[in-house]
Amino acid sequence: MTLTAARPRNMWGVTDNPSPNLYIPMVAIVDEIIDETPDTKTFRLSFQDKEYAKTFDWEPGQFVEVTVFGAGEAPIGFASSPLEKSFFELTIVDRGKVTRAMHRLRKGDKVGIRGPLGNCWPLEEMKGRDVLIVSGGCGLAPLRPAILQMLADRASYGDFWLLYGARTPADRDFVYDLESWAARDDMHLLQTVDVPDDKWNDNVGVVTILFDKMRLNASTAVALICGPPIMIKFATIGLQRMGFTDDRIVMSLERYMKCGVGKCGHCCVNHVYLCTEGPVFTYKDLLALPELKL
Amino acid sequence: MNVGDTLALKKSDLAMFFASLAHEMRLVAPKRRFGGDVIFDVVESPTQIAWDYGHDIYPPKRFVLPHYEDLFGYRADGEVRFEDLGEAPMQAIVGIRSCDVTAIRFQEKFFSSQIVDPYFKARSDNTVLFSLVCNTPPKKECFCICCDAGPYLDSGFDVELTDLGDRLLYRIGSEKGLKASEPGGHMLAPADGEDRAERKRIELEADSLFATEAYLAKAILFISADEVPDKIWEELGSTCFRCAACTNLCPVCTCYTVDDRREDDGSCVRCRSWDSCQYAGFTREASDHNPRPTFGSRVQRRFYHKASYQYITRDGRHGCVGCGRCVSACLTKLDLPSVVKRIRRSMEEYLQPLPSGEVRP
Repeated sequence: MTLTAARPRNMWGVTDNPSPNLYIPMVAIVDEIIDETPDTKTFRLSFQDKEYAKTFDWEPGQFVEVTVFGAGEAPIGFASSPLEKSFFELTIVDRGKVTRAMHRLRKGDKVGIRGPLGNCWPLEEMKGRDVLIVSGGCGLAPLRPAILQMLADRASYGDFWLLYGARTPADRDFVYDLESWAARDDMHLLQTVDVPDDKWNDNVGVVTILFDKMRLNASTAVALICGPPIMIKFATIGLQRMGFTDDRIVMSLERYMKCGVGKCGHCCVNHVYLCTEGPVFTYKDLLALPELKL
Repeated sequence: MNVGDTLALKKSDLAMFFASLAHEMRLVAPKRRFGGDVIFDVVESPTQIAWDYGHDIYPPKRFVLPHYEDLFGYRADGEVRFEDLGEAPMQAIVGIRSCDVTAIRFQEKFFSSQIVDPYFKARSDNTVLFSLVCNTPPKKECFCICCDAGPYLDSGFDVELTDLGDRLLYRIGSEKGLKASEPGGHMLAPADGEDRAERKRIELEADSLFATEAYLAKAILFISADEVPDKIWEELGSTCFRCAACTNLCPVCTCYTVDDRREDDGSCVRCRSWDSCQYAGFTREASDHNPRPTFGSRVQRRFYHKASYQYITRDGRHGCVGCGRCVSACLTKLDLPSVVKRIRRSMEEYLQPLPSGEVRP
């Protein structure tokens, strides 16, 4: 069986739009702000229009365009569980103009949301298989919905491995999740940091060193990857060595993006628009895009 | 009158005909400015239309995809309120060349594929294209004949006009064109056999006048298969000034950027403006990582979009209509005909066996 990235049930602009036109966002309210790391916060949001909130249906791997009023719009992946219907979370690093403005928001402030956008992780097709998740830094955020959805349906999947690498112990996102996942006996969590602190007594090094410490059936398992470009590159090489075929290495890509609906042209890689045809691709799909120089 | 009809319009009635149309919609046409420059602009009276304009450097695409366009306004103090600022005036673009008609049809297809862009659609729905066949000699940079986009059209126009001396041949190509023909309909008479024969003669003559050629096929093969080595792209890109004249003047290019503009009254306007893949900032991310970091990679991007099978499959044709504006605009000859020629020649040399007899990988 060949795995491909999955088409989502819902996509802003393709399926029904509540907004009068697809460039005008829906209003959401910041219900809670969670500090993850010194430069990362998780924003818990819910729609002002409660009727719309009920119909808002998205899948792990998809993203939204979030408008910080007065600053602009930026694409951010969902970071919460899709099973949670009353709110959704976005985990945002303070990096650019819009994300900086986002970090200045307080509880009760309003933002604009256009979404869900993009395709999703092939969680349905992965049922019955072993799962390996490789993430680095803030790359855990777009994978968290997939992890939470699979753990909620744990019996449908085989062995479950989660590898997570960060720069330092303090740069780890979702520490509260990592602690609860470490305590579970139906999954394996391996963590590593590049630079340890005094209290760190776990692995030290890049995330790929964890490949030697695990055991799974690489001839049928599926790997989901998200992280910085250099991590994706070496993780892919490691997975191929382990025996993963290119169609079972699935990753989420990012590009500078404006419209989110396949028109502005910024996120194009060769002839593929990441915003509508991605952001999730199998490595096999990506080999058809020479610009990536894989 | 029906779609597909071929009619004739006397030149003495021309101004009156378009004056009748001007009651229904604004006229955008080649307009002579001080000093003699001609540019497509809104004309107040049909007498201002410079029918003999030849060719203009600034494509009329800005009347369907404005250089700078307000999308919607919002206030975010207290309750958030949005106001759609989309504008779509009824307009006829009169005297537009075949290449630019083909380009606008290309854009219409792109902006309606998968997801429909509401602003572009509203504008193009309200626009009637009166194309004017090029029976004056093409400018020396023109190569529409190599791009299946001119100098006359088989379809795509709403109305097509051909200058036959004392009269114009008037072909109706669409429902929109038919409706726009009604206000001055009494001035249109059926064309006779002589008119059609004259048109045929003009077609043949127009075809024979081109000075620039763009043999795209071979370059499309090399580009689609990613066979052109980075070294050749970097050599090509090394002379780029990053001025983006090529993409701004290209009647096909559609890429845009989006900004929020603060107004004095505290509200904001989300607006979009033309952007260019030739700018380094086009793909630069907030982390400063740039997936297209070199001039060569950006020039490669432009030609991949213009001339690859992958895009031809997506868009139904290649992304060049042969208007020749990049030829006029680019100071260092990074225009389509030159680059296509240079790719062909460089690849010929590159694929030669090395002196050692080895063949390059």
